Amino acid sequence: MRNSNYIFPFLLFIPLLIIQLTLVPLISIRGFVPDLILILLVFYTLQSGQIYGTVLGFIFGFLYDLVTGSLIGSMMFAKTAAGFTAGYFANENKIETYFKSYSFTLIVLLCAVIDSLLYSIFSSKEFTFNILLLFFEQGLLPGIYTAVISFIVVFFYPKRSFS
Amino acid sequence: MLRIFSNLWEEFKEYIILVVLLVVSLILISLNEQPGIKKVKAISFGTFASVTSVISDVFSTSSLRSENETLRRKNAELMLKVNKLRDYEVTNKELKGLVGIKDTTTFPLLPATIISKSLSRSQNVFTLNKGENDGIKPGMPVINDQGLVGIIYNTSGDFSIVRTLRNSELKLAVKNQRSRVDGLMKWNGSDLVIVNVPKTYDIKPNDIIVTSDISSIIPFTIPVGKVVELTQVETGIFNEVRLTPIADLDRSENVFVIKVVQSKQKNDLELNFFNK
Repeated sequence: MRNSNYIFPFLLFIPLLIIQLTLVPLISIRGFVPDLILILLVFYTLQSGQIYGTVLGFIFGFLYDLVTGSLIGSMMFAKTAAGFTAGYFANENKIETYFKSYSFTLIVLLCAVIDSLLYSIFSSKEFTFNILLLFFEQGLLPGIYTAVISFIVVFFYPKRSFS
Repeated sequence: MLRIFSNLWEEFKEYIILVVLLVVSLILISLNEQPGIKKVKAISFGTFASVTSVISDVFSTSSLRSENETLRRKNAELMLKVNKLRDYEVTNKELKGLVGIKDTTTFPLLPATIISKSLSRSQNVFTLNKGENDGIKPGMPVINDQGLVGIIYNTSGDFSIVRTLRNSELKLAVKNQRSRVDGLMKWNGSDLVIVNVPKTYDIKPNDIIVTSDISSIIPFTIPVGKVVELTQVETGIFNEVRLTPIADLDRSENVFVIKVVQSKQKNDLELNFFNK
């Protein structure tokens, strides 16, 4: 990965965060919103590897916690773990395959479930309901919504690569 | 020794980095209520909110027409209600005069616009375009035309953050408007619930739940939610009451901050909720 590509995710992060906080709530379904930041994180982690993804998740989470005024550390924790998970799939030889097929969506789904689940666990001190309900309501539903939105990346990713 | 560490690092560097970063995150979670961290949060969200407010203004202008129409209809309905209430007021004044009760005061309302929403199932927070410079302080209630939206949690010069009803950190003393029984309401990550309600309490589906007079945060009544069902706890003597919020939090754009601050004296005495 070129050095300039390391900076690009941060440049994209700011406008995406603004969209996440201003426009995305307009398409919320019963309080569930897709996580654009996570899609960005997975996209760059797949290209740059696990360590990069873990650190990028940590920084994205930190910035998100700061500007939204929510519990500092909760999104950091969730995004770090999500970046690490996405890193398992990072493989230079498979990048094209990921983005040209729906594998990318499945990876986003897995990472989004982990991200949402950890965020809900660490952002609240007292959840009383059972683990299955927690997984379904706090993890799977927001994860599916994020994965559906990540189709956009697959759809707009150039079908031919020019070297 | 150095070689062992070097080998370990080479072998497990991904995991070492992960563990270190996760530990840092956990440490920061535990330090959230520190004044220093709160100050950093206030500065950073204030800076970012000035950017999001521009975007938010553009989109709120486009939705003004439909909102205007809705408000006109609501205005007409309210006019009819006010007319009826005027009759009650006369009777009320006479009765209060007879029993010697002081009249209730009016509360200063400050209009504000929601410029960004951080929606999650457990930590729902809104950012408002009014802050300390407008006299907003942590603990002030935020309402819309339907009912309670949340409580001010943090403020910067020109912006403030609201913990909405869908925030697990917000706990509120509430009462049933019909039967006048009190309870403690909170967001459990999935539903608004009143916890530990004795089974003998008179609460029925569709009852309106309002803020309680015993609350140190909101010492007057504001509609909060409507009872959906009573969850029967098999063992024990308590029910859990599930509510639906009266204010539409997903579609809220314009709100009012009620400029009243919590009673410190009352707060010290009661087991009430707002933990600064």
